[in-house]
Amino acid sequence: MFKDSLTLGGRSIREALRTPDSLVPSIFIPVFFLVVNVGQTARIFPAGETGFLKGQNYAAFQLPASLLLSASFGAAALYLVEEIEGGYFDKLRATPIARMSIVIGRLWAEFVKTGVLAAAMLLISLPFGIRIESGPLGFLLLLVVVSLWGVVFSGFMQLVALKTRSAAATQGASMVFFPLLFVTPNFVPRNLLTRPMEIAASINPVTYVMEATRSLILDGFDATALGRGFAVIAVTMALMLALSVRMINNYD
Amino acid sequence: MTTAAVEAIDIHKRYRGRDGEVHAVRGVNLSVSAGEVFGFLGPNGAGKSTTVRMLTTLMTLTAGSARVGGVDVATDAHAARRKIGVALQEAGLDPRQTGRELLVLQARLFGMSKHDALARAVELIELVELTDAADRRIKGYSGGMKRRLDLASALVHRPEVLFLDEPTTGLDPASRLTVWDEVRRINELGTTVFLTTQYLEEADALCNRLAIIDAGQIVREGAPAALKAELKMRLGLDADPTLDEVFLDATGRTRSRVAGDVQEV
Ligand SMILES: Nc1ncnc2c1ncn2[C@@H]1O[C@H](COP(=O)(O)OP(=O)(O)OP(=O)(O)O)[C@@H](O)[C@H]1O
Ligand SMILES: [Mg+2]
Repeated sequence: MFKDSLTLGGRSIREALRTPDSLVPSIFIPVFFLVVNVGQTARIFPAGETGFLKGQNYAAFQLPASLLLSASFGAAALYLVEEIEGGYFDKLRATPIARMSIVIGRLWAEFVKTGVLAAAMLLISLPFGIRIESGPLGFLLLLVVVSLWGVVFSGFMQLVALKTRSAAATQGASMVFFPLLFVTPNFVPRNLLTRPMEIAASINPVTYVMEATRSLILDGFDATALGRGFAVIAVTMALMLALSVRMINNYD
Repeated sequence: MTTAAVEAIDIHKRYRGRDGEVHAVRGVNLSVSAGEVFGFLGPNGAGKSTTVRMLTTLMTLTAGSARVGGVDVATDAHAARRKIGVALQEAGLDPRQTGRELLVLQARLFGMSKHDALARAVELIELVELTDAADRRIKGYSGGMKRRLDLASALVHRPEVLFLDEPTTGLDPASRLTVWDEVRRINELGTTVFLTTQYLEEADALCNRLAIIDAGQIVREGAPAALKAELKMRLGLDADPTLDEVFLDATGRTRSRVAGDVQEV
């Protein structure tokens, strides 16, 4: 299954390289939000005088939200549903591979793609006074966290694709998951949110992924934040994989 | 005793959807011997594609059992898939790959090494005469080219039984003849062929034996000549009937009956 999923993953990467325009939104929209959000609020949070910025500028605080946004387009699911509608999915199902490798193959590609996009965004932002407090190792860890989140997110989207087999419904599902990104401490730390928002954000798993990402940029290696972030990723990933196995093996 | 290449015992399919249930296949029994070209005919919506999807492990059987190459498609789907090659009614191909890449990928998924997969792709590209287009993206292929590529991809692993669901629908007469030639060539190499079609002359030209399905049930089965002879005798005809007439008789869609329906209105 491992080998087949890599073979299929390679094909998905080739597919992404051949449709580079499909990557444009995943980089343009997050950068757009970063610039706009920072442009509007940076004066409220001056670099030297805002405690939670740890001496960096506000863009450093906003960057995690943009990285996670770029990981939350679920392109894998959109390709998958296109394949289901077009019939190629059946062709793959007729081969003697474990069906789960069709799902995993796309997730591999998503991991790589998200990582490359995140690296690009980080490298672009470094000249604008953003420092990765945790250093080069932290930089890599950042990519891993963001890419894993991209895998989890598109994995859930793929479930919708497999369930509904409809491109319109899959597109719609991203609109349902998308708001989760904003019910988070994306403008200020959790303790500065209003009480209802703080409760909502604390329930939202994305919060902990965002805090882990942010801690690598602002604080260095914060075991608590990283532990929570990875725990959330592990649990949601396990859930997503378990549901995917069930869904694709019972696909009829 | 030789085992049948394809065997279906009382298979059923019920689709459950939002707007109720469709009993698409209602107790079909089939037995296709190794080496045959078997035709599966029937009007639109009769259950041909549904039967093919069940026999090729792509869909569960609601009831009954089926074997391909002696392997049960429900309980041992993986082994069955190695014996089966299938080209479905809608040629499902990945538009972003080239023809060659698609064949190589398919071969790899059947467990071939990279080297063998490349060699097999070259063979198949020649077989279906796509040499010039092999390295172009499938997106730009014509309908006929897609069909031929789909056929090639069904053959990568040298299946024992090849299922073709309406392989020539939508093809121009020349392409249709090319596909016929390919089917014959593949069959001569020892592959059993199970094909559905809307074209009766196609069944007449290619098939050793055929079955006609209507509303989910088999209504005729036998060699084309035998089916014609039976009709000739039963109706006491002077001239030999065509397969069209056998089909119309079997599915109750005779001209006189259609005319009668119109008069009653
Ligand atoms: N996924 C599905 N869900 C519900 N009903 C279906 C589904 N697929 C097919 N059917 C129904 O099952 C019946 C048989 O369909 P099938 O596609 O097997 O017919 P067919 O003989 O291949 O027809 P055609 O010649 O038009 O290809 C039809 O009544 C069809 O509407
Ligand atoms: Mg059909």
